[in-house]
Amino acid sequence: MFKNHLKIAWRSLKKQPFFTFLNTFGLAVGMAGGLLISLFIYDELSFDNMFTDADRIYRIDVENKNGGEINRYASVAPLLGPTLHRDYSQIEMVTRFRNSNSKLIRRNDVQQNVKEDHVIGVDTTFFDMFGLELLVGDTQTALKDANTLILTKTAAEKHFGLNDALGQHLLVDNEEVYTVTGVIEDMPKNSFLRNHTVFISMASFDDAESIRWSNWNFPTFIKLIPNANIESLQTPLSTIYETYMIPWIQTFNPGYTIEDFRERRKTTGNYMKWSTIALPDIHLYSNDIEDELSPNSDIQNVYILSFIGIFLILLACVNFMNLSTAHSLKRAKEVGIRKTLGSDRLGLIRQFLTEAGLVSFVSLLLAIVIGVVFLPFFNELSGKAISIPFGSPFFWLVLIFATILLGLFSGSYPAFFLSRFMPVKVLKGGGESSVGGGKIRNSLVVFQFAISVFLIISTLVVFQQLEFIQNKDLGFQKDQVLILEDTDAAGNQLMAFKQEVKQLGQVKQASLSSFLPTPSARSTITFFAEGDSLSNGKIFGKWKVDHDYVSTLDMEIIAGRDFDRQFTTDSTAIILNESAVAMFDIEPNQAIGMRITNDFAPRDKGNMTFFTVIGVIKNFHFESLRNNINAMSLSLGSNSNRMVVKLNAGDFSKTISSIEDIWNAIAPGQPFNYYFMDDSFNETYKAEQRLGRIFITFTILSILIACLGLFGLAAFNAEKRTKEIGVRKVLGASINQITYKLTIDFLKLVGVAILISMPLGWYAMNRWLEDFSYRIEIGWQVFALAAFLAIIISIVTVSYQSIKAAVVNPIKSLRTE
Amino acid sequence: MLLQLKNISKWVQSGGQKVFLLKDINFWVNEGDFISIMGPSGSGKSTLLNIIGMLDNANEGSYTFLDESVLSLKEKHRANLYKQYIGFVFQAYHLIDELTVKENLEMPLLYKKYGASERKALVADMLDRFNIVGKKDLFPSQLSGGQQQLVGVARALIASPKLILADEPTGNLNSKQGEEIMDIFTQLNKEGVTIIQVTHSEKNMNYGSRVINLLDGEIV
Repeated sequence: MFKNHLKIAWRSLKKQPFFTFLNTFGLAVGMAGGLLISLFIYDELSFDNMFTDADRIYRIDVENKNGGEINRYASVAPLLGPTLHRDYSQIEMVTRFRNSNSKLIRRNDVQQNVKEDHVIGVDTTFFDMFGLELLVGDTQTALKDANTLILTKTAAEKHFGLNDALGQHLLVDNEEVYTVTGVIEDMPKNSFLRNHTVFISMASFDDAESIRWSNWNFPTFIKLIPNANIESLQTPLSTIYETYMIPWIQTFNPGYTIEDFRERRKTTGNYMKWSTIALPDIHLYSNDIEDELSPNSDIQNVYILSFIGIFLILLACVNFMNLSTAHSLKRAKEVGIRKTLGSDRLGLIRQFLTEAGLVSFVSLLLAIVIGVVFLPFFNELSGKAISIPFGSPFFWLVLIFATILLGLFSGSYPAFFLSRFMPVKVLKGGGESSVGGGKIRNSLVVFQFAISVFLIISTLVVFQQLEFIQNKDLGFQKDQVLILEDTDAAGNQLMAFKQEVKQLGQVKQASLSSFLPTPSARSTITFFAEGDSLSNGKIFGKWKVDHDYVSTLDMEIIAGRDFDRQFTTDSTAIILNESAVAMFDIEPNQAIGMRITNDFAPRDKGNMTFFTVIGVIKNFHFESLRNNINAMSLSLGSNSNRMVVKLNAGDFSKTISSIEDIWNAIAPGQPFNYYFMDDSFNETYKAEQRLGRIFITFTILSILIACLGLFGLAAFNAEKRTKEIGVRKVLGASINQITYKLTIDFLKLVGVAILISMPLGWYAMNRWLEDFSYRIEIGWQVFALAAFLAIIISIVTVSYQSIKAAVVNPIKSLRTE
Repeated sequence: MLLQLKNISKWVQSGGQKVFLLKDINFWVNEGDFISIMGPSGSGKSTLLNIIGMLDNANEGSYTFLDESVLSLKEKHRANLYKQYIGFVFQAYHLIDELTVKENLEMPLLYKKYGASERKALVADMLDRFNIVGKKDLFPSQLSGGQQQLVGVARALIASPKLILADEPTGNLNSKQGEEIMDIFTQLNKEGVTIIQVTHSEKNMNYGSRVINLLDGEIV
């Protein structure tokens, strides 16, 4: 019987190539989309699970409220990890990382440096903590001594062969000699260490044993003993401030009691809160936090994509249902015959499910082909390197199971619907009136278009917000700004290099600083106004810049003045931004001349170093527009590994090669790395741009699927009404009237869909926009445009069939009966 | 007695009024009968045939088929009953377009869960009997109307029903083809198969042993 079902399914599909194509293709597109999205989500959810004991490993984070600001850090004081380990037995092990900048690395006997972007300090427990093995070297001793490091396989092969690396020396940043004590496999692509290539022993960092509880530079991971509950650390974490930090502050501030600190906190509302996050949660649940070891994703994106994936598959299923039931006119007779020949309803249901199953398996094959073809595009879209795991039995099992499920689901309604036909009615040739199901089909069309319009609205809003970000006045000029990296490699020739660059005709201005409004170095320090006690510190950014910084980036001074070479006292001058001024509860004008310090020395000792505020700079955006503008300051300093060059309009490539020539003359053998600031700025919004691209892609897909369905339905509708159209024409209806009549029915459905999707789209996109401190308002134009697009698309889709039916000579159509 | 209809009525509601399709029909059929139901269009011939074939239900009255009270049976039982005892022949043949002649013939056997070898034997037998062995792999659209109806009759017969219900079996055929079909019916009847046919034609009526005339849903 099953063979018979399969046979008749195959033949009836073959007999209707057009409908079969619409059905299979629509389903395949939906499945391919679902497949790719599932792989993406699987990858996102798999992050950091590969580490042994990942379920027992946690990172300690800290949240600091100071004044109006709340900052969150993924790094803590160097002492915190070891201290907790010492005091609480449920902690089995602690591993600290030490954030570090990119480094230039070369062999002693080689001139050319290799730039490693992700260099990091680690404790000796690193291997035990994450269950890692060395390819070469001994995990017990590898990271014990100062000035030792281990390399990933890829990094090692840049300098030596894999087996020759052990014991070799490397020169880091042209000054310090490190010994290679091990080579480790490259870090998994879906781990929080995926970018890191060089691991330096913690003993190499001076501040690793520092007792300063305010030095938050150490991402710290703890591993609990088996069966310990993370809840048991709640109390210890909540008492860190009083148990460890206050005693430390009291060492240089002996007059204060714990009560004083409590009182102080109560009046200011300031706090520090430590918390833990499970290792596998970091990738998706840790955001808006500084000092992450690798950029994270957001569970919200997983949700959004899941929804889109489910939508796509639903759309495809709905298409299948619609086309199959619409098409049932042709199948009705068969149902009638089978029933009179003795088939019961169950048999028919089985038959139609077989047919749906067959279609979904053919679609699966097509979907895999589509998936393979579009995988590179999807990887670019999502910023991943996903491959389809053809070798995995689990993958096939899931795929086949999902396909069967999909077949059953999309076949369920048609099977139910078709098997219901009464033979007496359908065999009499009652035609369309006996088929019915129109209402459900209409609702399904409404459903499809509601989703499509919703996606159109979402896409428009995402792009408007992106547009808004790109064109917002940031408080500095990011265009025509070139950034040279690792300029400190020029050593004492750096100033000479800057002078020569400035003399180039195409260069407007140049400045040396590691700190940029786009992602770069950051440093936050506690400042005190003159006369303020140690417990009244304000934490804000301290950027070291040079005299030309403000003018190079076209920032605006709203009070006081810029740094000036005329004033030798400017070495202790400081410029605050508006947010920093606001922290002291004063107006910008009042800030000028104020003296502030970052000295923790006891206040009665005198000889403290003060900075004098000489200017206030207008707030400029140096983080994502998701965030408010934090407080920061500019002060003069040297030792800069970046140079910012403002160019005049013109041939940039020529200018860049001129600058490179100067660089090669001054610092031979050092890499010349550069990028444009607006590119780097765009990097900050990669997530949003990615989301935008994903939206637009899947919007187009969903519209495509919906249109396939609509096209099929229109064809069916025209076919069903052939006789009616013929009669109308004989009675004098014009082609236009008939086209209108056939089209308007569908437009009504699209209209209902638009009405349904608008409030949903408005609500969802407002939720999304809430994440941005700086955002657009959703205007009526968005909805109007979305509605307009949906209507135009559906008119184009439907009218082809309508016109085709309308121009047929009535003699022909009346004869068909 | 094969079947008996007592006081069968069927109606539809139209504008608050009952419009009778069949009204107070009484008749019986013995095994081996060849009955023709006659009457103008709309007189209720097909409705009556459908009720006899259990494809449709009467609103009133009783219907006994082989001592079973059909109207009180559950859908499933009724299906089993007609599956086992009744074969249908239609004016428009109603072969399944996607299946070959051979496969069309096989269809009722599949529903009756015959084994593969038995199916094969019965199909071969039928093909032989109706002289259509050469056509067994053709699809219905490749046959003439007469040939399609031959297949239709063969299909109705293949599971050896007691009763064949034929709704204007020659209506779409030319007279020569029609005669062939009617000859086959006569032959079958001689072999003991009960036949009820609905027909317009006096000529076909004469093949039968008994005539029931319908007018406006009533036997006259």
